[in-house]
Amino acid sequence: MIRCQALRWGAPGQPLTPALDVYLPKGSLTAVIGANGSGKSSLLKVIAGLQRPLAGNVILNVPRKGALSFLPQQQHLDRQFPISLQELVAAGFWGIKLSPELRRQHLNTVLEDWCLSGLEQRPLMALSGGELQRALLARLSLAQTPLVLLDEPHAALDELGQSLLWKHIHEWHAQGRTLVVVCHDLAAVRQHIPQTLLIKNTGCVLGSSTELIRQQPQTQVA
Amino acid sequence: MLATAQLWQPFHEFVFMRRALLGGLLLAGSTAPLGVFLILRRMSLIGDAVAHGILPGAALGFWFAGLSLPALTIGGLGAGLSMAGLAAWITRRTGLREDASLAAIYPISLASGVLILGIAGKRLDLLHLLFGSALAVDGPTLTGMLWVSGFSLFAMALIYKPLLLDTLDPLFLQTVSRLGPLAHGVFLMLVVLNLVIGFQAIGALMVVGLMMLPAAASRFWSRRLPVLMGIAALLGCLSVWLGLLLSFYYSLPSGPAIVLVAGGLYLLSVVFGPVHGLLRRPPLLTSQ
Repeated sequence: MIRCQALRWGAPGQPLTPALDVYLPKGSLTAVIGANGSGKSSLLKVIAGLQRPLAGNVILNVPRKGALSFLPQQQHLDRQFPISLQELVAAGFWGIKLSPELRRQHLNTVLEDWCLSGLEQRPLMALSGGELQRALLARLSLAQTPLVLLDEPHAALDELGQSLLWKHIHEWHAQGRTLVVVCHDLAAVRQHIPQTLLIKNTGCVLGSSTELIRQQPQTQVA
Repeated sequence: MLATAQLWQPFHEFVFMRRALLGGLLLAGSTAPLGVFLILRRMSLIGDAVAHGILPGAALGFWFAGLSLPALTIGGLGAGLSMAGLAAWITRRTGLREDASLAAIYPISLASGVLILGIAGKRLDLLHLLFGSALAVDGPTLTGMLWVSGFSLFAMALIYKPLLLDTLDPLFLQTVSRLGPLAHGVFLMLVVLNLVIGFQAIGALMVVGLMMLPAAASRFWSRRLPVLMGIAALLGCLSVWLGLLLSFYYSLPSGPAIVLVAGGLYLLSVVFGPVHGLLRRPPLLTSQ
């Protein structure tokens, strides 16, 4: 599904890690961990095609447009933007042809799934961080893409939100979709995600989460 | 105050007033959504920069062809677009912040415009170019404005959705569509087009006021984007109408009169607007 060949990324002239060769098969669920600034988010953007690699390439066996969904970190969003939660979530229908009736049904389903019912008309400004995060996740679930890239999906989520998140991640995994999740919560990674890609400036390691995270207690980061 | 009849009578009686009103209303309607999006995209300054940037082009057009509408328009359009393009290019290539790169470009354009006019040494009044006169809107200019505002409203309707997403969440749009840069380009082109057609009616600097002031004021009246654009258009039209009346009855220059009315409406909105206006308590999260 995702094959990175001699991939280097980061600011021009300053690759963050040695060249990365890694293969993530279809249907795999992989966590990406590493210290702040190690290049986790950038790697995700490179895979999503939002940022050019410095060298090497990323081969996906699905088209980048329409078959991939990407959850960016929410600080990208202007919280003063004058639209409602429902309009934000409904943007997930982009490129999907559906009758208005089906649209409404799907929309209501995902809003319920993410515990957002009743908040439809709230402006972004009046949402809490966790509500906004769930709205972004709901938008992403509308698209039902085979490849899902999540950048710190647990950020700003409370306990209930996190359990919702992991429930959905397991569901998507069970549907045979390929997931890559950047995550700081190492305990959660150990518990929920089978394999982990550890990003370090000395070299990246792909391995089973339980082994990697036990071996690297010093990578406990915020 | 003015009697009811006096609110209509000048427009009824004089063709030039009618043209000025019609032109102004068209301009207010088509610049309103542009202004709202400029503010949302944090590009409020670009209007100012482009308005100054139009000057050398219009001056060149005047030098070669005299006071002709097509020459001034083409000159202004070329100069405005290359201004906006150059600033964007410098930002992309060097990482200089967009506002800084615009702020650096527009004195250059303004100075070259003034220089060209100086060399040309003709009668075209710089003040007229910068501040214009709504009362000088003639038939061809009005037709031009009609086309431009019709075209920009149509184009805005076409690019509305991608432009909205490109403004709110460009990364998301990039993962689902390639339309983002196209929408941005069309949008910039519309801004320049409206400023160019507007500068002949109420002057290059005043049209920026008509674009930005109602847009900034509308933010105090609603939290919904389509409503914001409607309110901005309404406030713009109101400014044009009241401004023209003031200019008629008190013999004031029309451009500044219109913009000052818009400015007054803006200040009123800041104080009385229901959305975070000064007189409102910040709304509680649960109250909406």
